[in-house]
Amino acid sequence: MKRRVAITGMGVISSLGDSSQALHAAFCEQRVGFGRIVEYDSHGMESRWGGEISAFQPESYLRGRLFRSLDRTGRLVAAAATLALANSGWSQEALKSREVGLVLGTMFSSMHTIGQFDRHALMEGPSSASPLDFANTVINSAAGQTAIWHKLSGINSTIASGATSGLMALGYAADLISYGSQTAILAGGADEFCFESFCGLERAGLLRLKDATEECCVPFAASRTGFALTEASALLMLEEWDSAIERGASILGEIRGHANASNPLYHNPTHGPDAIVRAMRGALDAAGLFPSQVCCVSASANGSPVADRNEALALGAVFNSHGSATPITAIKSMAGETLGASGIVQAIDLLETFRTGQLPGIFGLKDSDPCLPALNFCQQTQNIHARSGLINSVGFDGHACSLLICAPDIEPEVRPAN
Amino acid sequence: MVTSIGTGREEFWKALLAGRCGFKRVKSFDTSRYSVHIGGEIDDFEPCKYVLHRHSSAIGRSSQLAITAARLALEDGSLRVADTNRDRFGVCVGTTSGEPHFIERFNDRYVSNEISKIGREFLDGYPCHVVAGNVAAELGLAGEAMMIPTACAAGNYAIAHACDLLRAGKSDFMLAGGADSFSRITYTGFARLGAIAPEVCQPFDRDRKGMIPGEGAAMLLLELQERAVARGARIYCEIAGYGLTCDAHHMTAAHPEGKGAARAMRMALQASNIAAEQVDYISAHGTGTPTNDRLETIAVKRAFGDLAYKIPISSIKSMLGHTMGAASAIQAAVCALAISEKKIPPTMHLVNPDPECDLDYVPNVARTCNVKVAMNNAYAFGGNNSSLILTQSHNGPSN
Repeated sequence: MKRRVAITGMGVISSLGDSSQALHAAFCEQRVGFGRIVEYDSHGMESRWGGEISAFQPESYLRGRLFRSLDRTGRLVAAAATLALANSGWSQEALKSREVGLVLGTMFSSMHTIGQFDRHALMEGPSSASPLDFANTVINSAAGQTAIWHKLSGINSTIASGATSGLMALGYAADLISYGSQTAILAGGADEFCFESFCGLERAGLLRLKDATEECCVPFAASRTGFALTEASALLMLEEWDSAIERGASILGEIRGHANASNPLYHNPTHGPDAIVRAMRGALDAAGLFPSQVCCVSASANGSPVADRNEALALGAVFNSHGSATPITAIKSMAGETLGASGIVQAIDLLETFRTGQLPGIFGLKDSDPCLPALNFCQQTQNIHARSGLINSVGFDGHACSLLICAPDIEPEVRPAN
Repeated sequence: MVTSIGTGREEFWKALLAGRCGFKRVKSFDTSRYSVHIGGEIDDFEPCKYVLHRHSSAIGRSSQLAITAARLALEDGSLRVADTNRDRFGVCVGTTSGEPHFIERFNDRYVSNEISKIGREFLDGYPCHVVAGNVAAELGLAGEAMMIPTACAAGNYAIAHACDLLRAGKSDFMLAGGADSFSRITYTGFARLGAIAPEVCQPFDRDRKGMIPGEGAAMLLLELQERAVARGARIYCEIAGYGLTCDAHHMTAAHPEGKGAARAMRMALQASNIAAEQVDYISAHGTGTPTNDRLETIAVKRAFGDLAYKIPISSIKSMLGHTMGAASAIQAAVCALAISEKKIPPTMHLVNPDPECDLDYVPNVARTCNVKVAMNNAYAFGGNNSSLILTQSHNGPSN
């Protein structure tokens, strides 16, 4: 009944590279993809870490037609789609005869365009607001524009659940293939770096402070105070297993299961790890794996005091006796927090770990917070023969999503029925 | 549901069948610099009656509307959220703009050089996913809380996803629907596109002048039939299937031949195992803009052939205006009521037929009809097309 979901391609635009190999190499070499932000100093911001992908040139990816009508998020997504389609071997010809869908997870999407559109109308009068910009003020504009650019006529959906949006979009797309009639979907997430998001996250006290010492956005470190806001766009090509084999695609991995949960008491500052525990257990159940069968974990942790603590507590609870054995990495000390893209950036890195046998270390983590349970945090990049991995995505407001991927050579149903 | 013509199932349905309209002069912001001044705002909305646990002053209007609709749905479905069901009780909401008032306030401060006054309320209130989060927090739902912001077809996407979760056994109960609040940004945009009608929304009429932005929310309580029967729930209808496609043609204009929309209709019928002949009612997107109604008519003919002339079609936007992401959720509720109450709401203000819109649009007067199968159509910016099929339940009140 449930059909298998193959991952057949990856596309990523990030400050650490525009290919899965470059991104993974950067993580393994412990390179950091962000720096100091100076342009908002005049607005009295307390944070100064993060930034946009300064090297991003849309014309390198969007050739042959004007892309003026796409805003930054739209360009980032359309560019990642170019890469993912090419990586999975989908030709323009193939796109004409078969429907490919697009599912995008995003926290803020077109917020900057929305802000500019409205501010322009406020200052110059409503009759001078731009109709071209208005088309991009809908939250699904990046998904819509990318579908137009690449002629993707299958399902087109946008998923929003805050920082967990990307991983939830991946799970949502996988289910459309597993249980529905779709056979090929580009799925992933994106968020652009902009003043509106930086200001919002900073005023909510979530960002790393500007006078913080180096250690301060290190996941699971005792000194953590918040995260660095960056941007990225990342998409995976998902295909129904048999049809992927039929078209001769090379299969990079398999989505084995996922689960989402929320904590309705998140606004209580003492809220606990319950939702994250349920998401992880749900993903394991859906995948038919025991915790002991999971080779490694890619944690969501980004240096946030509360979210990192809850994730560590949840990892301790789910992996209990295995917690000290299963290696856990967290790449956001290098990638920064890319919000909607973050879960997909983690997935791409994990697929590369399957291929290269290297699990990136948590950059900057010398001693983990003594208040957290004892876990096998991967402090240095290590060699590992990983064939399965669990990805966590934890939101700022009670959302949790976990997704389990396996290398293509792992047969399903390894867990005996109980 | 919460709408400009009534809150709650009974009040809304009565008003809808009577052809009541929710159009008035816009009150929530100053339209003196606009060439149009009419909107479909909800005047008498009292969030405090329904928002009991969240502070209604701290959450946005779309959240307030969604919470109200969710509470009404739970009440109507005689279901309580308890420790025994909350972990497998989820919520999925569609929207166009989420909580636009927070970015509008942000912008008011930005243009007044008061950025320092922006506090944490912006992040807490604005990102659209907070609407689903606020419903979950208010009602204590601990399952998946997801937002699907696929613009003006979003309600259908949210309902479709909720059905998938239930069928896959990932949830036991889902509240699914749509919510949007009246927004300066949306109004400005449609005004700039020249899409807003000056006085009245008259879908499919020869002299139609455009759509009218509105606001509202509708939530449906969804569960597997066996569970509903077992707990003795009143069943309005079944959701049989859906079709979702993308034109991949233009951000704001529909495909000139209605290809994507027709594909979604056929896909929905196929997924539902329903023949075109069986469809008794189509709830139209029917915005009232010259282009939409003409192309939608073409799309229905493309999907149904000559059968198109025999199927009653109506647009409730003729009464509510365009409630954006809530629109297709309100329409889905209307389809459910059409099936259970055996009545079809009218398309109001349809006075002069348009030769290019020559189907049966149920003009101006509600109709009695044994609706066994209803199709709910909605389209959106981005070229998104959605069709949902709702059918009479074997366990429903009609049998």
